[in-house]
Amino acid sequence: MALTQVSSNKCAGGFQKVFEHDSTELKCKMKFAVYLPPQAETDKCPVLYWLSGLTCTEQNVITKAGSQLAAAEHGIIVVAPDTSPRGCNIEGEDESWDFGTGAGFYVDATQDPWKTNYRMYSYVTEELPKLINANFPSDPDRMSISGHSMGGHGALVCALKNPGKYKAVSAFSPICNPMQCPWGQKAFAGYLGSDRSTWEAYDATVLAGAYSGPQLDILIDQGRDDQFLSASQLLPDNLIAVCSEKKIPVVFRLQPGYDHSYFFIYSFMNDHIKHHAKYLNA
Amino acid sequence: MDLFEIRGGGGGGLDVISEEAEHQESRELKAMDPYNVASDRGRGAARDVSTFQRFSVDTNESLRFEPCEDSPPSPTGAEDGYDDDDDVFKEGETEREIVTTRSRLQGKVAEMENFAGHLEEIFLTVEENFGRQEQHLEQHYNDVLQTLSQRYDERAAGLEEEKKGKLEALYGQLLVCGRALDASKELIETAQEVYRSQDKRLFLKAVKPTIKRMEEFAKEEVDLTLSTRLEFDTPLADMSDVKTMMDSINVVPAPSAPVINPQMPNSASQTSLRVCWSLFSDDTVESYELYYRPVLEDTPADSTCAPYVNRVKVRKPLHSFPVNRVKVRKPLLSFPVNRVKVKETHCTVTDLLPNAQYELWVTATNTTGISPASERALYMTVPSPPVIKRRECTSCPEAAMIRWESGNTNPVDSYTVELSETSTDGTAGGVTESIVAVPTCQCLIQLQTGRRYLIAVRAVNIGGPSDKSDVITVSTTGTFFHLLEDTAHPCLSISEDGFTMFYGDEELPISAMALDDTFTRCVAVLGDLIPVRGRHYWEVEVDDGTEFRIGVSYEDTERNSFLGANKTSWCMRHILSPSRHKYEFLHNGWSPDLRITVNPVRIGVALDYERGTLSFFNVALEQHLHTFHCHFQNYVHPCFSLDNPGALTVHNSIEAPEYTFI
Repeated sequence: MALTQVSSNKCAGGFQKVFEHDSTELKCKMKFAVYLPPQAETDKCPVLYWLSGLTCTEQNVITKAGSQLAAAEHGIIVVAPDTSPRGCNIEGEDESWDFGTGAGFYVDATQDPWKTNYRMYSYVTEELPKLINANFPSDPDRMSISGHSMGGHGALVCALKNPGKYKAVSAFSPICNPMQCPWGQKAFAGYLGSDRSTWEAYDATVLAGAYSGPQLDILIDQGRDDQFLSASQLLPDNLIAVCSEKKIPVVFRLQPGYDHSYFFIYSFMNDHIKHHAKYLNA
Repeated sequence: MDLFEIRGGGGGGLDVISEEAEHQESRELKAMDPYNVASDRGRGAARDVSTFQRFSVDTNESLRFEPCEDSPPSPTGAEDGYDDDDDVFKEGETEREIVTTRSRLQGKVAEMENFAGHLEEIFLTVEENFGRQEQHLEQHYNDVLQTLSQRYDERAAGLEEEKKGKLEALYGQLLVCGRALDASKELIETAQEVYRSQDKRLFLKAVKPTIKRMEEFAKEEVDLTLSTRLEFDTPLADMSDVKTMMDSINVVPAPSAPVINPQMPNSASQTSLRVCWSLFSDDTVESYELYYRPVLEDTPADSTCAPYVNRVKVRKPLHSFPVNRVKVRKPLLSFPVNRVKVKETHCTVTDLLPNAQYELWVTATNTTGISPASERALYMTVPSPPVIKRRECTSCPEAAMIRWESGNTNPVDSYTVELSETSTDGTAGGVTESIVAVPTCQCLIQLQTGRRYLIAVRAVNIGGPSDKSDVITVSTTGTFFHLLEDTAHPCLSISEDGFTMFYGDEELPISAMALDDTFTRCVAVLGDLIPVRGRHYWEVEVDDGTEFRIGVSYEDTERNSFLGANKTSWCMRHILSPSRHKYEFLHNGWSPDLRITVNPVRIGVALDYERGTLSFFNVALEQHLHTFHCHFQNYVHPCFSLDNPGALTVHNSIEAPEYTFI
């Protein structure tokens, strides 16, 4: 798996790099961003996988979220993939901003014409980690996952579906119950078909209800003034209710005045990286 | 020659032998080791004579030791007596007999040697005493002679004066007579001249006055008595004072006042004082009398006198405790003076009160009389040991705050804190550190993390340090504090061990008066102050349904307000609603909006003064719940409250888990 470095910038004592490779899962060229902290020069470091939200690429988080300083402080490699396969020339992929390009929803699609390329779940959980471990000074036993909005949904789903794989999980304004919100319904219908039972495998709220595995500790930050919260796209209450019942530890923080933007992410990124560091560096 | 006779003073003169000789004697007699017996065991010793001969070379009584007739001593003079080739010891029985006899004799020799030594000393002392007496006598007689010669001079001068006086008077008389003679002579001549005068007229003129003058002159009486007596007065000489002086020669003077020493450091105990004095003259003294009495302004410390006079609780900063300087002014009571008769120049006075001042003076006595009293010295007994207030001591990884009660009603000068590190099995090392000159009844001690220390306190005054107080064990693992039960709301009761609090269902008892420092609305209590910068950690255990507030507050947080509702407190609050558990993190009445899915029953509280953070954790899950970012202006107290009937337990001395201070 050959990697091509697209860019490299020194940042916070380490390096913010972007690479490109040919993805076997997605059958196209994919870019991803990697932040290597100063410690990576000498030691193996744990990895935090960041999944971005709708319409984002690998660039948004590395330029807007302000994660590098905290990552350098705690010695964590941050990997941020793109949000969907690109340039596959699938019909209708660019029609909506919340479906298709830039809206992979971190599932393995089962429906045509998406099923060949739109395998973001496997990409994120299988291919990418293997790639990272083979090419970077990462510790294969210490990884964690986080994300924003659609990426938050992706992070929760990856963690819940892979007990023990991720040492920590957190999310910024995640889509907690996609089966019950317009975004999710649209995406799952397109990627997974009309049988809603197949949707359950990618719904964090449902997965939490059935989770059994090592104890999780989920940190979720949600802007109170988030338009999508009020538009019932995010539905965190559903997830909280299930987690309360199932005794899955969650700390959910409703941040007054904050919206859905990267300004919100920037404001609490430090807390999240600290949260991950606690488990990655334990 | 019995030694004991001599000591008892068979002769009267030896009674007045001064102390030192007596003392030395008794000391020597007590330590009567049969020395020099070890050497020359079994050897007849011509050599022995030389060592024993230091007593007087000139006396006829020099100790001579006839060597044994049996056999000559070995020429080599082996000291150890292990010469196996000596013929003397071939026979078994007699061998042993000889040995025992020899050793007995050796013993006797040693005794005599001792005796000789003592005699020598007595001899020297007698010489000394003689010298002193001689000097004394010489001086006395000199005084008498001087006085007599003075008297003679005076009397002689007196006589001289008298003679002069008489002579002058007589001479005066002589002059008067001479003048009288001259006058009459002149008169006669004048008369004759007048008589012889040829001039009848002049004669008639002068004759009448002249006759008159002669008649007058003839009438004058001439005093022919002597103006003075011829004899001299000889008054009786007053020799009474000379007589007294002569009498006093035979008498030893009364001693002069002794000099009492100031208190020696570390010579006093809690109930005794060691007093020393000396005599700076050659006086002979038979015994001393030591007088002492307490110097007190207050009543003596007894069980009825509590160290704190009043029990009204006053709001003061809890971290600066009042200095224990209680003085109850009462009229000066006159205490009887005690006296002790001693022969030595020192005395240990016992049965005294601790931390008390005593006035002492001493007089010296001999056969003549008692000396004037020495100056009065002030001595102080050592204080009673302090009592560590166990429920008011706190500790943390880097320091401990120890508080104690003085243990004395009167003030002491300072306190000394002693600490020693102990290993985990409780065996203490020696004292590793002492902190001296602690002015108040508390001390913040810097310590090392993760160790155990034994700490004790002594009270110190000019008499010295008291005994050690009871020891308190301090562990520098985690932070440790007690609850300040005086701040507890009346509805809050605290367990025996002081770490569990209960809010019962019972109604508030009428007798429960809210004192100044208690919470009045919030059923809360404060923990002891955490007075050390750095990181602190403790845990709180609750039941699932307990509604509580836990956190920290400043000492002056409003007692009629709720924890977290003001700017002086920060707390995590659990509210139980019918549908769910609610959690708030309150400060100044504001809380972030949070949901927590798993209810913590054991909450870790992590305080970091340096970073200005207060964090809460679900200990069972190692889950971080929330962090306050606050710039603490002062040290804070842990605070706890129960918002509905329930219980809460504080767990202390826990090392902060790593995740709490990332």
